[in-house]
Amino acid sequence: MRRISVILFKEWKESLRNKMILFGAIFLPLLMVGAAVAMVYQGRTSGPPGAEVALFNTALMYFLILPVIIPLAIAVYSIVGEKEQGTLEPLLATPISDWELFVGKALVSVLPAVVLTWGSFGLFLGVSVALLGRIPPHALTAPWLAAVFGLTPLLSLFSVGVTMLVSSRATDARAAYEFSSLAVLPALVPLIIYSTRKTIVSLGLVAVEGVVLLVGSAVVLYFAIRMFRREQILTRWK
Amino acid sequence: MIATEGLTRRFGDLVAVENLDLVVAKGEVFGFLGPNGAGKTTTIRLLSALIAPDAGTGTVAGLELGRQNRAIRQRVGVLTETPGLYKRLSVGDGLLFFARLYSVPDPAREVERYLRLFDLWDRRRDLAGSLSKGMQQKVAIARALVHDPAVLFLDEPTASLDPEAAKVVRDLIETLRTKERTIFLCTHNLDEADRLCDRVALFKRRLIALGSPQELKEGRYGRRTVVHLAHPRPGLEEALRLPFVKKVERVDGKLLVSLADPERQNPVLVRRLVELGAEVQFVNELRYSLEDLYLDLLEGSDAAH
Repeated sequence: MRRISVILFKEWKESLRNKMILFGAIFLPLLMVGAAVAMVYQGRTSGPPGAEVALFNTALMYFLILPVIIPLAIAVYSIVGEKEQGTLEPLLATPISDWELFVGKALVSVLPAVVLTWGSFGLFLGVSVALLGRIPPHALTAPWLAAVFGLTPLLSLFSVGVTMLVSSRATDARAAYEFSSLAVLPALVPLIIYSTRKTIVSLGLVAVEGVVLLVGSAVVLYFAIRMFRREQILTRWK
Repeated sequence: MIATEGLTRRFGDLVAVENLDLVVAKGEVFGFLGPNGAGKTTTIRLLSALIAPDAGTGTVAGLELGRQNRAIRQRVGVLTETPGLYKRLSVGDGLLFFARLYSVPDPAREVERYLRLFDLWDRRRDLAGSLSKGMQQKVAIARALVHDPAVLFLDEPTASLDPEAAKVVRDLIETLRTKERTIFLCTHNLDEADRLCDRVALFKRRLIALGSPQELKEGRYGRRTVVHLAHPRPGLEEALRLPFVKKVERVDGKLLVSLADPERQNPVLVRRLVELGAEVQFVNELRYSLEDLYLDLLEGSDAAH
């Protein structure tokens, strides 16, 4: 655990000096909060009955996209950055285990994604209350809260797993970033389902999506861990 | 401190290291020489427990390769071919990170010690990426030393250093030798290897030669005394056919005399020359460089395969 925390603090220190990562980690959540608040505010002033709740729920979907997008840049840099700087071999020459390194690298991206998503969600609720004076009745239901709080870590984990898999094969950060963007797809599925109004967001639906994400993450992480072996990293990561 | 038996590593069809038998003693500075692509880096990776051998066994710092890899990595320091520094971290933070990974008891103190040793203390807050190549190399060496390893693997430690910084590194190697640290040195700087190494191995996928630089050179070329004469006279070669003289040649007016024990035999040789009426100007030993030996042995190895 101690070595994992050493990795975490080093990665965050490095990331804070990288403008691209800072932009992704701070500006993007603020942008999403701004867009969500604007949507909710619009619902208050115009539209047919029920539009306020519908727009509020659509705004909530932004907070299911954030946990997928936020970790992308951090995770890509965490792997490709090591390759580009030639720092992998000195790192692997230390007594850190493959497992500690993998967990460290994964948590580096998952933790900020979860914290920033929940933080942004809180900020969104706060600003919405400040502007509207209330949360629209029946808008913030238990299934939505379960989705935002329960699915966020799973979405981040899936995103990071995909990114680690892709980054280990990619030769440069741009290619890794582009391919890793595919990790956004699972977050778009519920978004599409909810927006077509084919079904309502229920605890059952959230649970199903949670299970799918859990299985998907397990599969992706399984392959990512298989590739995250010292020897593979040294001899195959180019 | 390092012992291997039949250590072999393949990458697909390519044999990178073949049947390597090696023993390196504690406190020894051991030079591992060979051309690019000879398998030197693979050997370092094998010995520092970064990759596994396909065949063979080995121990490093008394620990068994393959079974105690993590413990081996704790006891060895590795300087890779490129410095590989975290360029967005400060010099101090980068070293502190590694000191913590190695569980150094007082990491900040050790980092300060090595930064001061390499004259980098004033640059500790600078980003590693802002340093010159030479300074980056010094930081990388400090990183390899920060946990006080028993065995140090140095891959081209002075390659990008200016003469002054290179001397600091060489002096450091000498200091580490006195502290009984074992140093496994890969270098293309053969003069450096000649000066620093107790023994050298010439390697190209397999071991070609092993011994002290002096032993290897003497084994290959023997020992020769060069006699400079004021007025070279014909027939001296024949007159010098003494029992202890292996061979006499005349090159550019000088006599090249092959001897087994020049320290004892040179006085007799000079006396004989004076008796023969030769006017001896200088007598010195013909010294071959490690480079001569390296090129000869590699050429021989290539011809053999």
